Amino acid sequence: MKMKKKIRVLIAKPGLDGHDRGALIISQALRDYGMEVIYTGLRQTPEQIVSSAIQEDVDAIGMSCLSGAHNDLFPEVVKGLKKHGAEEIIVVGGGVIPWEDIPFLEEQGVQKIFTPGTPSIETAKYIEKAVYKRDGIGLDEDLELVKKIDHIGIAVNSLDESIPFYLEVLQLKLEGIEEVPSESVKVAFINAGNIRLELLEPTNEKSSIHTFIEKHGAGIHHVALGVANIEQRIKELKKKGITMIHNTPKSGAGGAEIAFMHPKSTQGVLYELCDKSSKESQ
Amino acid sequence: MEQNKDFETLYQEWKETTDKLMERFPERKESFQTSSNIDIDRLYLPDQLDSSYMEQLGLPGQYPFTRGIQPTMYRARYWTMRQYAGFGSAEETNNRFQYLLKQGQTGLSVAFDLPTQIGYDSDHSMSRGEVGKVGVAIDSLEDMEALLKDIPLDKVSTSMTINAPAAVLLAMYIVVAEKQGVSSDCISGTIQNDILKEYIARGTYIFPPKPSMRLITDIFAYCTKEVPKWNTISISGYHIREAGATAAQELAFTIANGKAYVEAALEAGLDIDEFAPRLAFFFNAHNEFFEEVAKFRAARRMWAKIMKETYKAQNRKSWQLRFHTQTGGSTLTAQQPDNNIVRVTVQALSAIIGGTQSLHTNSRDEALALPTEDSARIALRTQQILANESGVADTVDPLAGSYFVENLTNEIEQYANEYLEKIDELGGAVSAVEQGYMQREIHHTSYETQKAIEKGEQIVVGMNAYQLEDEPQPELHRVDPSLQKRQIEKLGKIREHRDEHRASAQLEALRVGAKGKDNLMPLIISCVRSYCTIGEICGVLREEFGEFTGI
Repeated sequence: MKMKKKIRVLIAKPGLDGHDRGALIISQALRDYGMEVIYTGLRQTPEQIVSSAIQEDVDAIGMSCLSGAHNDLFPEVVKGLKKHGAEEIIVVGGGVIPWEDIPFLEEQGVQKIFTPGTPSIETAKYIEKAVYKRDGIGLDEDLELVKKIDHIGIAVNSLDESIPFYLEVLQLKLEGIEEVPSESVKVAFINAGNIRLELLEPTNEKSSIHTFIEKHGAGIHHVALGVANIEQRIKELKKKGITMIHNTPKSGAGGAEIAFMHPKSTQGVLYELCDKSSKESQ
Repeated sequence: MEQNKDFETLYQEWKETTDKLMERFPERKESFQTSSNIDIDRLYLPDQLDSSYMEQLGLPGQYPFTRGIQPTMYRARYWTMRQYAGFGSAEETNNRFQYLLKQGQTGLSVAFDLPTQIGYDSDHSMSRGEVGKVGVAIDSLEDMEALLKDIPLDKVSTSMTINAPAAVLLAMYIVVAEKQGVSSDCISGTIQNDILKEYIARGTYIFPPKPSMRLITDIFAYCTKEVPKWNTISISGYHIREAGATAAQELAFTIANGKAYVEAALEAGLDIDEFAPRLAFFFNAHNEFFEEVAKFRAARRMWAKIMKETYKAQNRKSWQLRFHTQTGGSTLTAQQPDNNIVRVTVQALSAIIGGTQSLHTNSRDEALALPTEDSARIALRTQQILANESGVADTVDPLAGSYFVENLTNEIEQYANEYLEKIDELGGAVSAVEQGYMQREIHHTSYETQKAIEKGEQIVVGMNAYQLEDEPQPELHRVDPSLQKRQIEKLGKIREHRDEHRASAQLEALRVGAKGKDNLMPLIISCVRSYCTIGEICGVLREEFGEFTGI
C-alpha cells in the first residue's frame, strides 16, 4: 500500500481581480486540514501560475476569480500544464462563477468548480480525495484498518448495581441506556473522556453475556475497534486468516454496524468491529 | 441652571440659523405627520440640554455632528440615490446611465473594468479576459466621450470608483466637460482615489505608497484651485469590511487612512481648511442594524474631533464627515437570491437612519454575476420605497437617545480609538499597511467568521439553514465576450489617427514632471487631451515610480 503523503496545493489569483478574501480563507482552511499551501498573491498570469505549480511540485491548483475572467483564464492554466507535461496536477476553481459556465470549465479540464457557500472542509476533502485517487492511494478511512478504540464492553450482572460505581465513585457521565432485544442485552453508555465504556446486562439466559458471566464472571467482555467500511474490513480480515463470529455486519447499540472476531484467532481477546460512519454522515 | 440657560440660547441660535437656511433650502413639505396625524418634529431632544449631551451629540449640522451634518437632513432633500453601474463598452454603459437617470436616479456612479483600474490598455497581455467585465473599459478620451454622451455634466454629479489612476480619469472627465462647454469649476462628483485601502483590501494598486500619496496630494492641490466642487477622495471602509473586517475595524482603519491623507497633504504644504472640506468617506452597511447605525454616528463624531482638535481645522466644513454608503456585497448569498432584497432593505435602512449622504443598494443577483436590468431596478426601487413610503426620513437622527444605540455609538468609538492608538504606535496608517498589520487583523476576523458560518453558529438564511433542495437558476447578465476584440480595434484606430508627435511629447513632459516635484495634474490633462491612452500614461509613471508588488 502506498504511503499517505502531505498534499501540496497552490492557491492562485489569476487575472487582475483583487478580491482575495476567499483565497486567503481557503488557504488557511486547507492548512488547518493538514495540507501545505502556497498562495501566489494577486495578479498572476496563467503562465505564472503554471510555472509556480511546477516549481513548487504541487498536487493541485485552486484558482479564485471574482471578476468574470474565469472562462478565459482557468482553461489557459489547464492548457499550460498540459504543455509542460504536468497534466497530473489537479485544477479546481471558485469565486463568482455563474452556474451556466461550469459545464464549459469542466469540459476544459477544470475538475471542479466550488460555488459560493461551499464549506471549506468540503473543498479540502474533495482535493484530498482527488489527489489520492490520482495516486492510487485509498482514502483516509480506507487506509487505516483501525481508526481508534471505540469502546470497551464490560459485562455486568445488573446495571442498577453497577452504574453507581461509575457515576458516583468515578464521577463519569451516563450518556444513555438502550435495550438491544436481538442480543438480549441492556446497554448503558458511560462517557470516559476519549472512549466510552459500554456496560452490558443480560436480559435473559439466551444472552451471550449471560453465558460469558457464567463462564468468567462479570468483567471486561470485549474491546470495540472503530472502523470505516466494515464490510470491506471483514473481507480483509478473513483474507488474513481471521475467523469472524459474524461474517456480515449486524446492527448494534447506538446505531452502529458491528461484527465480532473470534477470540481464538485474536490472541484471546474478544474484538468487535464497530462502524459508525453511516450514522455520523447522517 | 446658569449653564442650562446657555444651552437653551445655543438651541435658539440653532433654530434661527435653521430657519434662515430653510429660506434657501425649504423642506419637502410644510409639515410632517404620521398616519394618525401626529406631528413629526424636525428634531427631538432631551428635556434638559446639558454639557454631556452637547459634547457627545450636539445639534444636527453642528460640531461634533453626531446627529448629522445638516440641520434638516432628509426633511429638505433625500439622500442621493447613486447606483454603481458600468460594464462592457462605454456605449453600453451610457445606455444604462440614461436608463437609470430616467428611472429617477439622481447621481451617476461609474464602475471601471480592471484593466482601466490598474492602468493597462485593453490590448495589454494582463488584460486578457478582463476587458469590460466588472465595469466599463476606458482606454482613451474617446471612450470617456462616449460614456458621458448627452449627459449634462453641469447638472449630474458623477462618482468614479477609480484609485491608482484616479488622476487620469479625472483629467478625462474635466476635458469631456470642457468639450461640452462646462468649465471645471461647475462640475461635481467624486473620485475614490483611496490607495491605502487598495493595499489593505481591494488590490487595484499600481505604484508604491510614496508616489501614490504624491499623486493624491497633487489632486488635492489642483482641485482646490480648479475643480472646487469635486470630492477629491472617498476614504473607503467599504472594501475593508468586504474583506472581512468587523464594524469597529472598518471604522478604525478608515479613519486611520483618513488621517494619513491629511498628514500627507499637510506635509505637501497644503492648508487644511482648503482641502479638508472636499474629503469624503465611503462606508459599508451590513446586517447588524443597530451596530451599523452606531458606526455611522461614531464616525462623524470621531472625524470632527480629530479634525478640530488634532489638526486644528477652523472651517466647520473641514470637521464634517460626509459619506456614501453601499450595502454589504459579501452578505449576499448565491442561494435563493431573492432573499437578498430583504437583506439590502435592512442594510439600506441602517445607512439612512445613520445619516448617509448617498446610497447604493446592491442587486439581488450580485453573488452570481453583474446585475441584470431587472435586478438593478429593484435595488433602486428599494431606496425609493424607503424614502417615499416608510417615513423614516421625516425626522433627524431618529435613534438618538436610545440607551442601546448611544451606548453602542460610544463603545464602537472607543474600540476604534484603541485601534487608532495602535496604528499610531506602528508609525501611522502608511507604515501599518506596509507592515501588513491591518491585513492580518482583517484576515483573522474573516477566517473566524467563516468558521462560525461553517459550524452553523452563525446562521445565513438559505445558505447554512433553510436551504432549498432544487433551486431554480436565475437569469444572469452576460458581458459580450467579443468586446475585448472590438476595444482593441478601437485602440488601434485612435493610435493611428491622433497626432503622434504631440502625444509622445506630452508623455515625455509627464516623465520629466514625475521625476521632479511639479503638480502632475496639468501634465496628465495635456496627455489626455492628446489622446494618450491610460496604459501609456500609467506606463510612464510605472517606469518612473516603480510598481508595488504586494506584501
